[in-house]
Amino acid sequence: MNEEKVSCKEVMSHICESLSEEMDSPKCVAIKDHIENCEGCKSYFSSVEMTIDLYKKCTETLPEDVHKKLMAFLELTDEK
Amino acid sequence: MNEEQLIASAKNGDKKALAELVKKYEQTVYSFAFKVCRDREKAENMMQETFYSMIKSLHQFDGNSKLSTWLYRIVVNHCLMEARKSSRYTFVEQETDESLFDEKYIADWSTLPIKNLETKELRNILDAAIEKLQPEYRVVFTLRDVEEYSTEETAKMLELSVPAVKSRLHRARSFLRNEITKAFQE
Repeated sequence: MNEEKVSCKEVMSHICESLSEEMDSPKCVAIKDHIENCEGCKSYFSSVEMTIDLYKKCTETLPEDVHKKLMAFLELTDEK
Repeated sequence: MNEEQLIASAKNGDKKALAELVKKYEQTVYSFAFKVCRDREKAENMMQETFYSMIKSLHQFDGNSKLSTWLYRIVVNHCLMEARKSSRYTFVEQETDESLFDEKYIADWSTLPIKNLETKELRNILDAAIEKLQPEYRVVFTLRDVEEYSTEETAKMLELSVPAVKSRLHRARSFLRNEITKAFQE
């Protein structure tokens, strides 16, 4: 999992894949052209991107005590 | 020992190898469970159940898929069972595309104070949005967009068709996005 900003190409690929289209298909090219020229869609597009990004950032690190409880629950020794 | 050797040793009852495998994947499993259920205690329980199931069924693991993929399948099942106990979802499959993709939600996010928001506030907004999303949609969104599995891999893990994964992903993204927009517009 990487937390870097995704490129437009990746996002396009994501959108076209969701539509079952190849990147260079007429529909995919038409969508790309539309997004480039439509403020509403551009805004919608970037907000979906941001939603994914926000969700990725809200991660949870495993606390040490939870790790210890897991090992005890599984009856495993915690050797380093 | 590499992973293949660890699995072989663990299958032969080597507890040290088993502990190594658990340690290797505990963060991944915990993190995934937390993303789906947004609750530390539940995530901890899901993780314990997942590794308990792994130990019980490791002899059935044939190595045709990655161990991580196999573990995701187990944790997904536990998370879905747990999440279905709750009935607070407002996003249902019957919700129409027209209501999901309504133009009133096409707000310009560059004007929303997202960047100034403290992590805790942002978490509360995300928790509230995720809480309303049906678990079947949560897992698709998390596997596909957060863990970055392909549509085909996600479909295989969830025993769904590829079009079903695409449709759920599309709707989950739009629903979450709309919920975040609403939270800022209130």
